[in-house]
Amino acid sequence: MVKTIFIFCILAIFTMALSNTNYRFEKPSHFPEALYDFSKNPLKPEIIELGRKLFYDPILSKDSTISCASCHSPFNAFAHTDHDLSHGIRDQIGFRNAPALFNLAWHSNFMWDGAVNHLDMQALAPISSHTEMDEDISNICLKLSMSDNYQKLFEKAFGNNNISGERVLKALSQFQLSLVSAESKYDSVIQNLTVFTPQEKKGYELFLKHCNSCHSEPLFSNFQFADNGLQIDTTLNDFGRMKVTQNKADSLKFKIPSLRNLQYSYPYMHDGRFKKLSEVLNHYVKGIENRPGLAKDLAKKIPLSSTEKVDLIAFLLTLNDKKFVFNKEFGFPKLDK
Amino acid sequence: MRLLLIILFPIVTFAQESQIRFKPTFNAHEIEIGKSYPFEKRSISIENLKFYISNLVIILNDKIVFQDSLPARLIDIENKISLSINVKNGLKFDKIVFNLGIDSITNVSGAFGGDLDPTKGMYWTWQSGYINFKLEGKDPLCKSRHQKFQYHLGGYAAPYNSLQLISLNLDKKSTRAEIRLPIDKFLKAVNPQNQSEIMSPGSRTVELSAILKQLFVVRSW
Repeated sequence: MVKTIFIFCILAIFTMALSNTNYRFEKPSHFPEALYDFSKNPLKPEIIELGRKLFYDPILSKDSTISCASCHSPFNAFAHTDHDLSHGIRDQIGFRNAPALFNLAWHSNFMWDGAVNHLDMQALAPISSHTEMDEDISNICLKLSMSDNYQKLFEKAFGNNNISGERVLKALSQFQLSLVSAESKYDSVIQNLTVFTPQEKKGYELFLKHCNSCHSEPLFSNFQFADNGLQIDTTLNDFGRMKVTQNKADSLKFKIPSLRNLQYSYPYMHDGRFKKLSEVLNHYVKGIENRPGLAKDLAKKIPLSSTEKVDLIAFLLTLNDKKFVFNKEFGFPKLDK
Repeated sequence: MRLLLIILFPIVTFAQESQIRFKPTFNAHEIEIGKSYPFEKRSISIENLKFYISNLVIILNDKIVFQDSLPARLIDIENKISLSINVKNGLKFDKIVFNLGIDSITNVSGAFGGDLDPTKGMYWTWQSGYINFKLEGKDPLCKSRHQKFQYHLGGYAAPYNSLQLISLNLDKKSTRAEIRLPIDKFLKAVNPQNQSEIMSPGSRTVELSAILKQLFVVRSW
C-alpha cells in the first residue's frame, strides 16, 4: 500500500513538472540575442498552441470571415502572395502590403511605419482596423468566452479559463515568436554545413558590397527606417514613418524588411508595387528618386550589370527557408472534434 | 455592554479607514453621466470620463507612508468603485503624489492585465500607447457629427510625452482626502466649439495635459 502511494506521488509530481515545463526559445547559433523579453511572457507549448488556434480563427474579425492567416499565409512565409495591398473584411482593401512574419523576436517595432512598439500589441492594429478585421478586443474576449473549446484551451494554457485581452495578445505573440526561420541554404553555409555555388558566391559578395548595410545579415535587415527613393504613389500618398513621429525628416521612410523567404513573399515594398525581384533590382539600379531624405547608402545608384543582377538574385534565393514555410507545426491547427 | 459594542464597532472601523476619493466635478457638482450642465450660455453633457493614475504614493512629513500596490488605476466615472482608493487603516497623510497617465516604460513593455488590459478601451490600436485621459460628451455648438466632442489625451514618446506628475498638498494632516477635477474648467480651456476632437499624441495633447495637471485640487475630508 505504501509502495503504491509512493509510486502514485512520484507520478503525480512528474506529471505536474511536465505540465509546468516552459518551452525553451531556441536561438539559432548564428543569430544575435533576441530582443523580446521572454521573462514577461514565458513560452509554454499550450499557450503557443492557443495562439496558433487564434491566429487561424476568423473569430477575431467582426463577421468571422477574416483571420490573421487570411493575409499572413504560412505558405507565403506568412505574407500575402499576389496581393499588393492587404485584403480585409467585406472585401475591403487596405493601404499597405501585408508583411511576412518570421524572426519577430528580433524586431523592436512593427508595421511598415513602426507605429506599434511591441509584438504583444501588434495584433490590436489589424483587429481594430475598419478595413482589416473591424473588431474590438473586448468583443473578441466576449466571443471566446462563449466557446467551451476556447474556455478549455485558456484553462490549459493559463491554469484557469479567464479570457482577457492580455492573454489573447500574449498567446498570439507566443505563436508568432515560435515562427523562427533559420534553415535556408545561407544558414547552412554560415554554419559550414554546405557551400554556395560559384554564382551564389558572386551574388553574396555583391550583396555584402551593396545591400548589407541596411539588409544586415543574419536577419537580413537592421530593422531601421529608410527612404529607398520609391516614387510616391499618388493614389495612396503614404508618407510612412512621418505619420507616427510627426517629424518631416521621417517623410517617406519605411521599415527595412528582411530579405529572407523572398521567393514566397512577393510582391515587394510597402505597397507591393514590384512583383518580381528583377523589378526590385532595377529600381535600385536606375529607378531611385533623389531627394533630401534618401538613405545615404543610396545617394549613388547601385551599379549592377545584367550578369551581376542574376548573380545577386541567385544569392537572394539561398535565403528561402523551405522547411520553415512547410513546417506543419506552424500550419492550420487540427480541427476541433 | 454587548449592544454598545455592536453600535460602536462599525463607527470605530469607519473612523479608522483611510481613503482617497476622486470627484470629477462640473460647476462644483459631482458629474453625472448624461446630465445636462449649463456651460457658457448653453447646455452640454458628459458621456464618458476615464483617466489613469499611476505610481500613487502618500506622504506624511515628507516621508512616503504608503505606496500603491497597483502600478496603475483606471478612474472611471461610470465605475463608482474605481473612484475610491482605500489605504492602510488610520493612516494620516499631508500629501498625495501620482502620475496622470501611464509612464513610457509601461507603454513599451507589451500587454498587461487588470486596469491596463487593452479591453478597457484606453489603448490606441493604430499606434501603440495608452490613452491617459479620455473625455467625451456633447455640445450643441460642436460642428462634429452628432455635436460630439472627444478628447483622448496620451502619448509617451518625446517630444509629445503627455504624462503629468501631480503633487497635492493637504491643508492639514488627515486620514481622508477628496481630489476634485473640475471638468468645466478644462472645457473652457479647450473650447469644444473650436476643437471638438483630439485623438492622437501631439503638441496640443501635451498642452492640454499640462492644463489638467493644474486643475486637480485636494481637500481633507
